[in-house]
Amino acid sequence: MLEARALTKIYQGAPALDKLDLQVPGGEVFCLLGPNGAGKTTTVNLFLNFITPTSGQALVCGVDAAAAPLAARHLLAYIPETVMLYGNLTGVENLEYFSTLSTGRRRGRQELMALLREAGLQEEAANRRVAGYSKGMRQKVGIAIALAKDAKALLLDEPTSGLDPLAANEFARLIEDLRRRNMAVLMVTHDLFLAKQCGTRVGIMQRGRLAAVFNTDDTDHLGLERAYLDISRQAVAA
Amino acid sequence: MSAVDVITAAEAPLPSGRWRIIRTVAVKEWLDIYRDARFRWLAALTLLLMACAIVFGVQQVQRIDRDRAAAAQEDRQVWTSQSAKDPHAAAHFGQYAFKPQSPLALADPGVNAYVGTAVWLEAHKQNEVQFRPARDSGVSARLGNLSLAFVLQTVMPLLVILLGFAAFSGERERGTLRQLLSLGARPLDLLAGKALAVTGVLAILLLPVLIGVVIACLLLVDDTQLSLSDQLARLGWLTLGYALYLGGIAALALAVSAFSKSSRAALVGLLAFWLINCFLVPRLMTDLVRTALPLPTALEFREAIAEDKKKDFGHDETHPAFIAFREQVLRDYGVNRVEDLPVNFRGLSLRKSDEIGYGIYDKHFGGLQDDYARQDRWRAVPGFLLPFLAIQPYSMGLAGSDTRGHYHFATTAEQHRRLVQTMISEDLIRNGRYGDSSYVAGPELWERIPAFSYRSPEAGWVLSAQARNLFTLAIWCAAASLLAVFAVRRLRPV
Repeated sequence: MLEARALTKIYQGAPALDKLDLQVPGGEVFCLLGPNGAGKTTTVNLFLNFITPTSGQALVCGVDAAAAPLAARHLLAYIPETVMLYGNLTGVENLEYFSTLSTGRRRGRQELMALLREAGLQEEAANRRVAGYSKGMRQKVGIAIALAKDAKALLLDEPTSGLDPLAANEFARLIEDLRRRNMAVLMVTHDLFLAKQCGTRVGIMQRGRLAAVFNTDDTDHLGLERAYLDISRQAVAA
Repeated sequence: MSAVDVITAAEAPLPSGRWRIIRTVAVKEWLDIYRDARFRWLAALTLLLMACAIVFGVQQVQRIDRDRAAAAQEDRQVWTSQSAKDPHAAAHFGQYAFKPQSPLALADPGVNAYVGTAVWLEAHKQNEVQFRPARDSGVSARLGNLSLAFVLQTVMPLLVILLGFAAFSGERERGTLRQLLSLGARPLDLLAGKALAVTGVLAILLLPVLIGVVIACLLLVDDTQLSLSDQLARLGWLTLGYALYLGGIAALALAVSAFSKSSRAALVGLLAFWLINCFLVPRLMTDLVRTALPLPTALEFREAIAEDKKKDFGHDETHPAFIAFREQVLRDYGVNRVEDLPVNFRGLSLRKSDEIGYGIYDKHFGGLQDDYARQDRWRAVPGFLLPFLAIQPYSMGLAGSDTRGHYHFATTAEQHRRLVQTMISEDLIRNGRYGDSSYVAGPELWERIPAFSYRSPEAGWVLSAQARNLFTLAIWCAAASLLAVFAVRRLRPV
């Protein structure tokens, strides 16, 4: 489970995140929407302790990310906008490397290939160097890393940005699979359609605050879009 | 599982797990390096350079040994085939002492080209070692020769920098550092893995070189001058010194890479260090110590000896010191005239003159060596920050090609000269008659005077002087490693 308790980050007097309270239990996909600079990526970075909070706590399964960053990261998987891999290594070599580093355990080749298959990567592609991979293929390796890690929570930072609709749809299906494994998923996105498709709940942020939260079952695409635009306009007007 | 359990389990994985992570990072780095064609070319070029340096070094040492042996044999032949003559005339006739080369000089020729290869041993006078190879090599020698020491001290650091400069900054630029840190990988494990990779590549490159030098030592070693075990012991200490030198540079490269925002900044910073360490500061320090602790010029040195030599009577029978010595001898033997002495007074006076000269030469040559040693000590002081200043004298010392090793040879040659003078004077004392110049010694005496033989000092003698430089290198390596640890503890993905 992911939990933010009055989580605050202030840069040079300006709050990037302002007392965020949030709970994402296992089996839920929480999508964070909002304009640029609303505090979405700051939230992800605070859970990863890539930046330290000014006040408040970011907890991963009860572990304070600032106090015990390594312990918190062991429980997390993270997929950024583009999963960065080593171009000189093949897909399976990249997975072997990242999974050994995250667990301290070395997996056999069959096991690694099974994980890549599960993430949707063809066997032929898995044995090719990553330098020639498309963005969608890289994201699949990212999913395989999360699977190999057996993470309790997943952080996604605009994971489908730049993917073609087919690849984005396939990615959404993989997220749904991870949710069914009782993983707590926090996804930052600009894609309202994806948020509605994958999310259990959707939060709209503006100026470092969570301005509104919707259950995706209670709203349609149009309603979600209207709420997003209203909140964004209010932010611009203010 | 409680939060506390989670923290405990995640923060302290089994040591075998951490070692596996470190090994995995190292293997991945090796694979990355191996698949980089640019590095393969660079490594092949460096290996070729080192192989050439060994081959050229072996050829040079073999040529010098051959020439030296032939010249020594010829000189001995000339000495023993002298006709019967006044023994003191034979002492003036003189002979050469040739300096043997340590096999390890093929790795580091040090100052050998500038300090001469033979010394002329003659009556009354301690000569400087002459026949400097640099004088016979023309302009090319001024540009420096390719030696293994040059490759290890200047080219290998560059290779280490190229291996390490992007270790962290490159990961940061590619975005993989963010990925790595998000996994919960410990920065210290990443550092250990990357350090293992860089040092592993160095070991792979240097192992054939080490084997090449061992084989060269086996081929070149001469048991009459030094033992193989001593050469191997010296090689072991040399390996340790270079390991500390290059290990420290690897640690510095990783530290700078972890500190730097971009690989370009890391590379520029490290290249600046390389230039300062290997080229600028060694020259600057040489000029500084030369100015602060000047040596006498050759003319001043000879003039100072000549001034002191005025106390020595030599062949001058009107010199007050000669007269005083003659009176003393007459008193000692209880006679009034030198003709009544039971021994040859000329022989006694020559021996006395030599003894006066020994003290004068010891004072001046010893003082000069002390001045050299003082300059060397001060020059190496910043070595813990710029380790070239420590590895250069350390390497020359263990290779037996530094000024201290040269002075050891020159001192041994002088001891031999003194032995020859004493034997000749004693022959004259026993067999000559005062005022009778007809006494001549024959081949029996020339044969009885032993040929000069020189045995290089053992590794312990070298280490006693080089302990300071070895300690400096250890400090350098430890400080650079601590800097790397400090840098990765502050590691951030952006």
